[in-house]
Amino acid sequence: MSATLSPLIHLIDDDEAVRASLALLIGTVGLRVQTWADPQEFMRSFDRQGVGAIVLDVRMPGTSGLTVLDALIDQGVDQPVIMLTGHGTVELCRRAFKAGATEFLEKPVDDEVLLEALQNAVRQHVHSRERHQADRQAHERYAQLSDREREVLGLIVEGLTNKEIGRALGLSPRTVETHRANLFAKLQVESLAHLIRHYATLAAQEDRQAPPSR
Amino acid sequence: MCGVQKLTMPHILKVYGLRLAVWCALSAAGCVLLARMELTQLREAFETDARISHRLLSQRAVQHEAVLATLALLQPAAPQSDADPAERRLSSVYPQILAVQRRDPASAWPSASLDEAEKTSRQTRTAAIADLDFKGTGGRYQLVLAAQPASYALLIDVHGTIPWNEWSMPVQSSLVRVTLESAGQTFVIQPGRLGEHGWRYEFRKPLASVSQPFEVVALRQVGWQELPWGLFALWTMAAGATLVAWSAWRRQRSERRRAEELLRVGQVARLNTLGELAAGMAHELNQPLTAILANTQAAKRLLQDDPEELPTALQAMDQAVAQAHRAAAVLGRLRRTVERPHRLQLPGESVDLEQAVRSALYLLEPECKRLAITSVVHTAQPTQVLAERIALEQIVHNLLTNALQALSGVRANERQLDIHIKAEQDMGVLRVTDTGPGISSDTLPHVFEPFFTTREGGLGLGLSLCETLASGMGGQLRAQANLPRGAVFILTLPLAPCP
Repeated sequence: MSATLSPLIHLIDDDEAVRASLALLIGTVGLRVQTWADPQEFMRSFDRQGVGAIVLDVRMPGTSGLTVLDALIDQGVDQPVIMLTGHGTVELCRRAFKAGATEFLEKPVDDEVLLEALQNAVRQHVHSRERHQADRQAHERYAQLSDREREVLGLIVEGLTNKEIGRALGLSPRTVETHRANLFAKLQVESLAHLIRHYATLAAQEDRQAPPSR
Repeated sequence: MCGVQKLTMPHILKVYGLRLAVWCALSAAGCVLLARMELTQLREAFETDARISHRLLSQRAVQHEAVLATLALLQPAAPQSDADPAERRLSSVYPQILAVQRRDPASAWPSASLDEAEKTSRQTRTAAIADLDFKGTGGRYQLVLAAQPASYALLIDVHGTIPWNEWSMPVQSSLVRVTLESAGQTFVIQPGRLGEHGWRYEFRKPLASVSQPFEVVALRQVGWQELPWGLFALWTMAAGATLVAWSAWRRQRSERRRAEELLRVGQVARLNTLGELAAGMAHELNQPLTAILANTQAAKRLLQDDPEELPTALQAMDQAVAQAHRAAAVLGRLRRTVERPHRLQLPGESVDLEQAVRSALYLLEPECKRLAITSVVHTAQPTQVLAERIALEQIVHNLLTNALQALSGVRANERQLDIHIKAEQDMGVLRVTDTGPGISSDTLPHVFEPFFTTREGGLGLGLSLCETLASGMGGQLRAQANLPRGAVFILTLPLAPCP
C-alpha cells in the first residue's frame, strides 16, 4: 500500500546527460525517478501497478517514442504519459495527443513547466487509482452480503423505513432491524448517509443485473 | 571514352526521323500546291487562246456568209470573160476566197455537188457547203447560196481564212493543237505538240455560223516537264532551311533552360544539405541544452531548499558545465564539416568575370526581354579571378535574378541594370547596380542572414548562400544603397595570378 502511494516517475531517454539532469530536477520536488535508456527494456520490466507517470522522449534510436506510447496504451497502462521532443511539429503533437499522451513538451524544457505537468499527472493518477481502489473494496464488501441483506439494502437506498421494508419483504420490523445492523457492519459504514454515498450506485446496478423475485 | 558517333541509317532515322518526316510532308504539300497553281494558270491560258481562236474563225465564217449574201443581193452583171474585175477584186480583199462562181438561171453548175448544195441552200435559205473534202482539196470547200436570178458559190481556202496577224499563239512552236472538224473530217490549223503523259485540256465549240458547221477543237497536253521544278526545289530548300533554323532555335532555348535548371538544382541541393544539417544540428544541440537547463534549474532549487544541498547542487553545476562544452563541441564539429569542404572543394581556377556575367545574362535573357531591361556591362579591364566556376556563376546568377526581381517592382522606363567589372589592387570587383526599390537602412544589415527575406514565399537563403560561397572562395559579398535609388551588390574575389 505504501509503495503504490509513493509515486514513481519513469524517465525514458537515450541521452545519459539528459536522463541524469532531468532525474535530478524531478528529484528536487521529492518525486522518485527511475531512468531507462532503452525503451524495450522499460516496456519489459517497469512496474505497471505503481502510481506515477511516464516521461518519454520522442526521438530515440531503435524505437520511436510514439511507438512506445502506442504500445503502452494498447497494453492498458493507466499511468499518464508526458512526451518530450527536440523539434515539436504540429503534426507530431497532434499524433501524440491522438495516441493518448497527457502532455507534449518541447526540449529544452523549463523546470516549472515540466514539474507542474508531472505533478498534475501524478495527482491525476493517484486520484484515479484511489477511486479505483475504493470501488474494488466496495465490491468486495458488497459480495459478503446475503441475498436478503442485499434486498434490504436495495430498499433502504430507495428510502423505505424499516416498517415499510418489513411489509414489502414479509418480515417483522425487528428482523429487518437485525439485517440492517449486519449490513452496516459488513459494509463498514457508520451512517445512513455514508451507506448511500458509497453503495447506492452499486446496489442500483446489482438491482438491475439480478432483479429479486418477489 | 567518347568515340565518334556512328551515323548509321537507323541512327539518323531515330534522331532526325521526325524532322525528316516533317520536312518531307512540308515539301510535298508545298509542291502539290505549286503544281496546282501552275496547272490552273496553264489551263486558263489555254482556254483564253482557244476562245480567241474560236472567235476569230467564227468571224471569218460569218464574213463568208455576208459576202455571199451581198453577191446574191447585188447580182453583179454577168462576166464578159473569165476575168471578172469585181470577182477578182473580191479575192484581193478576201484572200481566202479563191474563186467566185455564179450560175445564171439558164446555165448549170460545173459539178453535181454544187447543184446539191444549191438545193439545200434553197430549202434552208442560208448558204450550204458543197462537197466537203479537207484532205482531197488541201483544206478547201465551196459555199453556195441559192438566189434569184443567179446563185453564187465561193471557193474558200481554210488556211487563208485564218487571220494570222491576230492569232494569239505562235503557229509553229505552240504546244496547242487547233483543228477544225466536221463530220469526221479534220483540218489542222496549228499542229501543236501533244505528249503522252500529264494532263490533257480540251476545248470544243462549233463555229458561230449555221452554214459552216465546223467545230473548233483545241487540245493541250501539259507534260511532267512543264511543272515548275525550279520552284519545287526552291520551296523544298526553303522548308528545310526553316526547319533547321527552327530546331536550332529550340535547341538553344532548351539548352538555356537546362543550364538554368542546373544552376537552380545546384542551389537546391546546397540548400537541402543545409536543411539536413540544420535539423541534425537542432537535435545535437537540443540534448545538451536540455541537460544544461535541467541541471542549472535543479541546482537553483537545491540551493533554495532548506537546508541547502550543496554537494548535489555542485554536481549539477558540473554537469551543466560539461554539457555546455558538449554543445560547443557540436558546433565546432559542425563548423568544420560546413567550412572545410568549401575551402577544400572550391579549388580556384582562373575565371573571366565578364564571361561569367555574360553567361548568366544569357540565361536570364528571356526574363530581361519580358521586363524590357537592357543590361549594360562596363568592363574597365579584363578581370580574371580565382574562383570555382559553378559557384561564381551561381553567385552572379543570384545577384542578377535579385536585381531583375527588384526592377520588376518599378516603372518600365525607370528600370536600369548596370554591371561594372574592374580590378582593384589584388581583387577583382563586380558591382551589380539596379534602380529598383532598394533596401531600407534597417534591412540592409540583415540581407545576408539565413532565412531573412522580404519576398513573399522567399526562403531567404539565396544571398546567405552566395555570401558563404564568396567567402569560401576567399572573397566577399557586400550590399549597399544605390543613389538616388536602388541597391548595389559588390562581389570581390581574389585576382588570378598572372600566368
